[in-house]
Amino acid sequence: MPKRVPIRICVNGQPREAFVEPAASLLELVRGTFGLTGTKEGCGTGYCGACTVLLDGQPVNACLVFAVDADHRDVLTVEGLTTHEGGLHPVQDAFVACGALQCGFCTPGMLVSTVALLRRVPYPSEADIRAALAGHLCRCTGYRSIVRAVTRAAAALAANPENPALPQPARPRGMRSRA
Amino acid sequence: MPEAIPSGGRSVVGTRHPRSDAVAKVRGEAAYVADLTFPGALEAAVLRSPHPFARIKRIDVSRAASLPGVAAIAYAGNTPAIPLDFAIKDQYLFARTYARYAGEPVAAVAAHTKRQAEAALAAIDVDYEVLTPVLSIDEALAPGAPLVHPQWRTYERSAGRVLRGNVCGYNRIRRGNVERALKRAWAVVESRFTFSAGIPGYLEPRAAVARREPDGGLTVWCGSQSPYSNREELAAFFNLPLDKVRFVNQFVGGAFGGKILLAAEWYAAALALQCDRPVRLVFSRHEDGLHVFARHGGRALIRSGVAQDGGLTAMQASFVFDGGAYSGYGNGAALIATMLVSAPYRIPNLDLEATLVYTNKQIAGPVRAPGGPQATFAKEVHIDEVAARVGCDPVTFRLRNMWDEEDESPAGQRLRGVSAKRVLQAAADAIGWGTPCRPNRGRGIACSWWFSSCGRSEARVEVRADGSVHVTSGNPEVGTGAATGSLPIIVAEHLGTSPGSVFLHLADTADAAYDSGVGGSASTFSAGWAVLAAARDVREQLLSVAEHALEARRDDIVIGEGRLFVRGSPEHGISLGEAAALAGGVVCATGATPQIDDPSLEHPARLEHHEFAAWLAPSFTASAAEVQVDPETGRVTVERIVTAQDVGTAIDPAGIEGQIEGGAVQALGFALSEELQFGPHGIMNTGLGDYLMPTIADAPDIQPIIIESPSHEGPLGAKGVGEPPVTTPGAAIGNAVYHATGNPPHDVPLTPERVWRGLAQSRADTTSAAEFPHETAKTR
Ligand code: FES
Ligand code: FES
Repeated sequence: MPKRVPIRICVNGQPREAFVEPAASLLELVRGTFGLTGTKEGCGTGYCGACTVLLDGQPVNACLVFAVDADHRDVLTVEGLTTHEGGLHPVQDAFVACGALQCGFCTPGMLVSTVALLRRVPYPSEADIRAALAGHLCRCTGYRSIVRAVTRAAAALAANPENPALPQPARPRGMRSRA
Repeated sequence: MPEAIPSGGRSVVGTRHPRSDAVAKVRGEAAYVADLTFPGALEAAVLRSPHPFARIKRIDVSRAASLPGVAAIAYAGNTPAIPLDFAIKDQYLFARTYARYAGEPVAAVAAHTKRQAEAALAAIDVDYEVLTPVLSIDEALAPGAPLVHPQWRTYERSAGRVLRGNVCGYNRIRRGNVERALKRAWAVVESRFTFSAGIPGYLEPRAAVARREPDGGLTVWCGSQSPYSNREELAAFFNLPLDKVRFVNQFVGGAFGGKILLAAEWYAAALALQCDRPVRLVFSRHEDGLHVFARHGGRALIRSGVAQDGGLTAMQASFVFDGGAYSGYGNGAALIATMLVSAPYRIPNLDLEATLVYTNKQIAGPVRAPGGPQATFAKEVHIDEVAARVGCDPVTFRLRNMWDEEDESPAGQRLRGVSAKRVLQAAADAIGWGTPCRPNRGRGIACSWWFSSCGRSEARVEVRADGSVHVTSGNPEVGTGAATGSLPIIVAEHLGTSPGSVFLHLADTADAAYDSGVGGSASTFSAGWAVLAAARDVREQLLSVAEHALEARRDDIVIGEGRLFVRGSPEHGISLGEAAALAGGVVCATGATPQIDDPSLEHPARLEHHEFAAWLAPSFTASAAEVQVDPETGRVTVERIVTAQDVGTAIDPAGIEGQIEGGAVQALGFALSEELQFGPHGIMNTGLGDYLMPTIADAPDIQPIIIESPSHEGPLGAKGVGEPPVTTPGAAIGNAVYHATGNPPHDVPLTPERVWRGLAQSRADTTSAAEFPHETAKTR
């Protein structure tokens, strides 16, 4: 049995501590140890995007990140999007209103990536949206409703910029795409 | 049969609402099987044959059983030696004397951790004698070919099912005299097609948890399309009383036909029956890829005769589908292909056949519209080739030959509500048919038909004293939104409330609301009928309560805004909750699907081994696509897809558009990139990195067009919705590539290499250019 490593990590604004196996992924940590099962595992190999969380504000495939590498960093999962009073984030609202989900398995990852996109590019073009979400597979929707939802969320956020106040990204990073 | 289409207006049906599970899903609260926690659960792993074909000489599990943490091992030696319940009884739960595809389950282990379970798999000793596998249709049909099932003669099979060596399904429809008609035709056009196998592509790999109960029963948590029939099958197999087996369905991360048949549930259950703790089995993506029920690969040959005036006179078509190692539900695609290939065209002489063959590959299954994308691609590209031969525009040619009201289907079903021309025209208009196209661009069109299915379904609707409205349906929510979209709308329409306030209970067999499952575009149709019947009953009960409470005549009572009130004086009324309280706390009713007979056939003698020739409430769908082809690389970019679909009555237009849009992108993947690749050791691309499903960057602008032509058989006039929109867009893309390049594509998917080779061919081949001048192509 490999030795477990202690880590401290801020998850959805809450400081947490855990002992993790060196080979454990951030996805196992979030879903298994912390019980935040909103984040999904579709492939475990970095191709589907269902496991996406924001690490220091940047979207990452949590299945490809070692939990130990998240030590002393900030993680945002879908559960962290709702406000303290339990209200929906404008991005969540827009996905509901636009019918941008069917089975919902890709949705948590799509949502957090959209949040990251809109912080970086408040008024994204359709091409920006398609580039930013190209690492997320959705088998159900055909993506049209997702493009609309992101556009709608951008408009809602622009109309009310301090809603909700989420930490700003440390540094912008290039888009991820499938291999 | 109760009244299908109500008189009077509709206030909720046909309007747009968020699905009732949307908020739970965006919050990450909707639970899928792998999200459930079972303290103390054992983890399971499955040992799979590494060989496409092998004889199993010996399995020894004793070494594995003694390893730390191992709680149970299930394999052929300790599970029932009875075949699974399919039309041909050719398959066992675990490989017995033969393993017939690389990935076939040989044993399963439950242990305290997944790592221990996997270590135990490695310690199971299996002595394989490797045999020469049959890896293609040609190999399967070659004279003297090795038999995938050497003992096929001993298999039980249902009446009328063809089984002959490596052929495990065959059906044929014949009308008139094809040979004579082809001889007399002004021209005969022949096309040959090949199709690669594909996957359903749901994002959530299959998973199940099973637990033996103290009373000897078994509970299975699953994400299935058909938990009720799965439960019956599993109970019968393990010889458990049906009422002691419970299936609890969770949210399902996509299914597309791939979750109709039991998979992870089997092995979790087999192990749990040996254990005192729950057993959890979550497939990895790789394992899900090995255990896939695939979209059929195969080939088609179509030959049509046409008169000089552009009238089709004869069609001869022959499909061969690769069914994989076991016949399962694989014959459905073959039956459907013969029904699609000549439709929706009036052709007096037909000879249409389809064959299913065994190979040593993954089992082909009922993937969304089985056989639909393949047969539609073949027939619609072929139709464009025939149109080109007679020098006719593809839309004009189709309209010239298309079915009208009261025309007959290939097997002699008199058709009503034939909307083929309407959908075709709508798709053509929307894509701008006939306006000029830039160079290397092309437009294509395709049209087809499909059926609705009506299974058995039961539902309960109740209004409680707190005013809440509850629907219990056995219809699983697999993502399509039939259960969470159209069912609440049907209830809300009848109880004068909003769909958002209707609470839907997920399928749990303990609730005794049976449903035959999601498949065959059946959900809104069969569950819709059950919910409609229950909602109508509840409505009548509420009206009776209000009659007394308000001292008003029944006809004067209005239901709306969650209240019952007297017409003209909205203040004089009671809420639904108050009405329920007056009725003793709850008003409820159950409903069930009525008996709906299959349409009759005027010429059953045209059928040979064909049990699916009468189509209930058929619908018509047309797609048009515009593509750009890079002549240097052969890469196809789809710019637009339009799909016009006749849905009968559009109960949930937002949900229907979601089906059309999702279907278009799945069809795009089918047409351009999705291809299971098999090597000598089985599937080579089980991962999502090398099996290429379209991303948001590949998806084009999609325009869904809903056409309403209410059916007489469906609830409120509905028709099946889920499958048709995946059948036509691939064919439209194929024809668009044809017109952009001048070369009809025959091998699907249209990878850049194939398209490039086609371009090279048409550059070299001046004859084909003369047949189909580039100038004409550019105007399409
Ligand atoms: S689960 Fe991480 S990318 Fe698919
Ligand atoms: S909604 Fe099912 S995968 Fe996106």
